[in-house]
Amino acid sequence: MIEDVRTTSGRGARPTAEVVKHLFVLLVLSATFFPLYMMLNISTKTNRDFFRDPWVPRHVEASVVRDNYAQAWRTIGFSIPNTMFLCASTSGLKLVAAILAAYVFARFAFPLKGLLWAGVMVLMLMPGVANLVPLFTQLRDMGLLNTYAALVLTGAAAGQTFNLFILRSFIEDTPEELFEAAEVDGAGHLGKIWHVVVPMNGSIIATLACLSIVSVWNNFMLPLLIVRDPSRQVTAVALYRLANAYVREWGPTMAAYTIAAVPLVVMFLFTMRYFVRGVAAGSIKG
Amino acid sequence: MAEVILEGVTKVFPGGVVAVKDMDLHIRDEEFIVLVGPSGCGKSTTLRMVAGLEEITAGTISIGGAVVNDVPPKNRDIAMVFQNYALYPHMTVYKNMAFALKLRRFPRAEIDKRVREAARILGIGELLDRKPKALSGGQRQRVAVGRAIVRAPKAFLFDEPLSNLDAKLRVEMRAELKRLHRTLQTTTIYVTHDQEEAMTLGDRIVVMKDAVVHQCGAPLEVYDAPANRFVAGFVGTPPMNFLHGRLAGDNGAVWFDEGTARIRLRSEQAGRLTAWVGREVVFGARPEAMSLAGEGRFAGEGNVLSVQVAVVEPLGEKMDLYAATPRHGHVVARVDARRDIQPGQSVALHLDMRKVHVFDPGDAGANLLRRGA
Repeated sequence: MIEDVRTTSGRGARPTAEVVKHLFVLLVLSATFFPLYMMLNISTKTNRDFFRDPWVPRHVEASVVRDNYAQAWRTIGFSIPNTMFLCASTSGLKLVAAILAAYVFARFAFPLKGLLWAGVMVLMLMPGVANLVPLFTQLRDMGLLNTYAALVLTGAAAGQTFNLFILRSFIEDTPEELFEAAEVDGAGHLGKIWHVVVPMNGSIIATLACLSIVSVWNNFMLPLLIVRDPSRQVTAVALYRLANAYVREWGPTMAAYTIAAVPLVVMFLFTMRYFVRGVAAGSIKG
Repeated sequence: MAEVILEGVTKVFPGGVVAVKDMDLHIRDEEFIVLVGPSGCGKSTTLRMVAGLEEITAGTISIGGAVVNDVPPKNRDIAMVFQNYALYPHMTVYKNMAFALKLRRFPRAEIDKRVREAARILGIGELLDRKPKALSGGQRQRVAVGRAIVRAPKAFLFDEPLSNLDAKLRVEMRAELKRLHRTLQTTTIYVTHDQEEAMTLGDRIVVMKDAVVHQCGAPLEVYDAPANRFVAGFVGTPPMNFLHGRLAGDNGAVWFDEGTARIRLRSEQAGRLTAWVGREVVFGARPEAMSLAGEGRFAGEGNVLSVQVAVVEPLGEKMDLYAATPRHGHVVARVDARRDIQPGQSVALHLDMRKVHVFDPGDAGANLLRRGA
């Protein structure tokens, strides 16, 4: 009689590996979500509740939650629209510039192209923090201190080498026949970008947009240096100022962090499929 | 008027690769001309130069009487159908077909009218709301053709449009394209590597190899009177049989001596070959210009070739015999299928001497019997 080895040995041997796999995934998920849990948890507490037991939500009172979030909103609420404006304008300008530049590098042959590309790529090696002082000096000399223009222009330039690198590769992989068909149909270069490059590479463009928005949203150092008017400050700096309060109110502080995270979470929820598609497109090209 | 005239057109790619060499071609208005040849012969490059997608190294191209060397593709009033369809994957069929008209700022009503008319002609009216990924290969090809039709251009350019379709669909689409050409009556330049496609579609076919035009003429003219050995071997399925041998003279008659067989040429043929008597030549005969001795077709004197059959391929009414002479290992004859022939059997073939050819054995391989050779 032939035994079904799966019933005797297969199922017995595999569960260990499955358990280990699942445990590992749980561990990673826990590490990822634990800070979020703590943030939400502490945002429902008073200082006394926090110091008594910071780990578990006990006796959550609606009035405490309401007060914490109200106080948080009063502290940082003004910065949310500021930061959203900066995210939209910076990311928009960044992507437009990256797409145009990547298109040129991908599709044109011109003298010293290789050298120029190498020069752009070398910039990736430059740590951003090393540029802070000369950048500040330059912005001051241009009369751009305390302006959003400074943040938008510098933000649009930051990380462009990465965007250029990725987009050039994707544009080069876009079928040549589509460009030729567009050309015969009557499209110029801008038409080809709009009707071929952008739709064909929508996933990766959306991914880069997401990454750019997150980067601008979390940008702290340059806004701290550039923006002097407190009412025009960005969320990251407003949150920082919370930490400098004489008496630290943990509940409202965590509530403020929660409020600051909401726009990003909403953005990810809406763009998740493009993000996943973009990452997958990068990993399984073709 | 939409004549397309190529004069001295040459294309040299960086690195010195000559893709097209000194090409002269006059395509008449409303003509359906087919550029055919093996891969790398320059046919697609020629088409792309007409489209404006490749720069011309030398020569001129005129469309409708105007030289278009420096005119961008969008202003040449041509429409192109690509091998891989090149449909915009994010647009519906309707939008794909309307795209060029939209770029040219046609009124919406006019766009709609043209798109629906083209869809009706091609039988794709019910597909207008679909995207390319929801279409079959044949449907995508029709959409690609439809995208060209709506433009009502001076000339259609087709770059191997059927090569990605299965055999059955290819035959159907071929007939469709021929019907379309009769309906639209627009100058059409069609590129293919399939000589059967070229023969069925073209008013004239241009046979190319190694950047050069070897022959340009009506399909039957190219088939019956090939200019050289390359054209003779390229056009026709199965290809022409070539036998290497020598011409011998005998009391005014000229014989082709294959080594194991002697074939007597007709007197009018002999008259053109007197200068080649005693020299090496290549004898050509198409498979259908052979019949089995006993069939009665092509019976005559001095036109028998004895072969040993290796493979018999029944085709229905006819059958192909893959055979060999003691000197030539590959002879194909297309004969009546009613005869019982077995592999290994020796048979005698009669040749239709009206349809044989004699070629120069050199690289050029010119047809010595062709008028003007």
